[in-house]
Amino acid sequence: MTRDMARGVNPGVNPGVNPGMNPGVNPMERVFRSAGVMGWLHAVDIDDGREVGLRADEPVVLASVFKVALLLELHRQAERGLLDLTERVRVPAADRTGGGTGLAAMLDDATLSLRDLAYLMMAVSDNTAADVLLARVGREAVNALLDGLGLTVTRVTQDCREMLTSLRVDAGVADQSAVNQACADPEVVARLSALDPAVANRSTPREMTRLLAMIWRDEAAGAASCAAIRRLMALQVWPHRLASGFPFDDVAVSGKTGTLPTLRNEVGVVEYPDGGRYAVAVFTRSYGTAQNQPRADAAIGTAARMAIDQLRTHI
Amino acid sequence: MDLVRHLGYFLVVTEELHFGNAAARLGMAQPPLSQRIKRLEEELGVRLFERSSRRVALTEAGRLLVPEAREIVARVERMRDLMSDLARGDTAVVRAGVPADLGAAVLAALIAGFRERRPGVRLSLTEMGTAAQVTALLEGRLDVGLLRHPVAANGLAYGPVLVRHPGVLLAEDDELTAWATVHLGDLAGRDLVLFSREAEPGLYDDTLASCRRGGFVPAEIVCTDRVEFALGLVLSGTAVAFGAPAEVPGVVWRPLAGTPLAWRCSPAWRAEPGPYVRDFTSVAVQVLKESAGMVDEGVPPAPRVAPRPATGFLA
Repeated sequence: MTRDMARGVNPGVNPGVNPGMNPGVNPMERVFRSAGVMGWLHAVDIDDGREVGLRADEPVVLASVFKVALLLELHRQAERGLLDLTERVRVPAADRTGGGTGLAAMLDDATLSLRDLAYLMMAVSDNTAADVLLARVGREAVNALLDGLGLTVTRVTQDCREMLTSLRVDAGVADQSAVNQACADPEVVARLSALDPAVANRSTPREMTRLLAMIWRDEAAGAASCAAIRRLMALQVWPHRLASGFPFDDVAVSGKTGTLPTLRNEVGVVEYPDGGRYAVAVFTRSYGTAQNQPRADAAIGTAARMAIDQLRTHI
Repeated sequence: MDLVRHLGYFLVVTEELHFGNAAARLGMAQPPLSQRIKRLEEELGVRLFERSSRRVALTEAGRLLVPEAREIVARVERMRDLMSDLARGDTAVVRAGVPADLGAAVLAALIAGFRERRPGVRLSLTEMGTAAQVTALLEGRLDVGLLRHPVAANGLAYGPVLVRHPGVLLAEDDELTAWATVHLGDLAGRDLVLFSREAEPGLYDDTLASCRRGGFVPAEIVCTDRVEFALGLVLSGTAVAFGAPAEVPGVVWRPLAGTPLAWRCSPAWRAEPGPYVRDFTSVAVQVLKESAGMVDEGVPPAPRVAPRPATGFLA
């Protein structure tokens, strides 16, 4: 997949070594364009601060990427003794947030510890687990944490249920099960407030890489909490976006995706065997409204590799 | 008894496996040759040949004696040559084997460096692969060599081990030149031009094993020890090659991410190194470091496999 895309969009242009050779379009821009998406990207070397960006300071909708900030606040509250991560929480079958993975797809009452709910939230983007945890820590607390870290554009204004409800209401359908169908219609997609960064959970590519870099440098919380967060981000199962750009056994990829109609995101950290580590945040909106767009998913990985390749040119 | 001369007769008989032919080659009659072999057998206390009516065959003891005898004869010849050179006032000679891909600049620096240290000694260089060097060193036809590891040879002693990490040579219109660093896995689907397994058995196997580990299994491997031929294949886009940057228009060099290939080499000799061999070794180590980009071998990093939930082994 990656090779096919690189062949199609990148004939003989070196994005890193000869930036002046091609006066035309930024090669990352061409990757996004040929995948039928608009892209926003920021990548930074966690240790030396070198950076690459494309519309890196424009506000973007986070979708499920907001779960990273929620996970951080969960651990900060545990550090302060406000909650116990091993505390068991009952999640009744009757009250599940939709989403198709994890508890949302399970049929029976469940009891899990807070930290295992956090695992489901990060590994398979479990919306039910996220809403249980957000209700527990409070969205004001998450925003206060973001203020404290200097991430002032990043805001968590909605939980997953509110996000999904807004899709149903804006699409004008009575039932949640009709949302997928309705959102294949470009006119419906055009009026979804869930895709408006002024309304929905939001950030910028640069603020997300700052957050990740702080987590990887043990600055966002205590070292044990940051290690626990890094562990969960490495356990995310999805191979199709950021990880697809790095199909190499000796490269570690950790990340968190976010998905809404036409919107495909992933933020994460890529770690090379020589010790280089790079935070990267990629946000895309597809022009087409089809749900299945593997080229759009893979463009996230391809563009991320291009950005990191540029950061590594000095090696 | 002149043991060395008798060993010489023995070697001629082993080559002919016929006393009459061997005697003719030695310019002597058959009975005195048979007599001398018999004396050698008595001296060593073993039978060296099975003599049946029309056939002469080596015994087990005879087979074991062959390499030992060859070495002794060669070394004695070498000693005589050296001494007679000195007696005649000719310059002494150090015979050194070097790998084929050393390059003109390195070769020139090697000769100049040795000449500076030993103006009265002639350095006779022969281009040879590791396998040929091992044989020549063990048989006394070389005084010192530059071997590429891994080497499986008993009876050799080694100087310092130097290492270099080759990059990949690509045709300039190869799409991979877009990257500042290339992963082994990126090379999938391409053919490889590599030194021959006959010349470099250890390094050949080692290099291909690293390629497989990295996801590169070349469909075809073209073997050559001629650098120009290899570059021609690269230039035409037929194959990729590993090595140092080449100053050839149309060929682009890229480092391999994570330095998955480590090519090691060291000076080697048999038994005690004489003063000339010691001088050659120190000059070679210095030249390889200064002109061939080699470094002292550190602790090699363990190849790692970063686990990924979706694409790793599930059990």
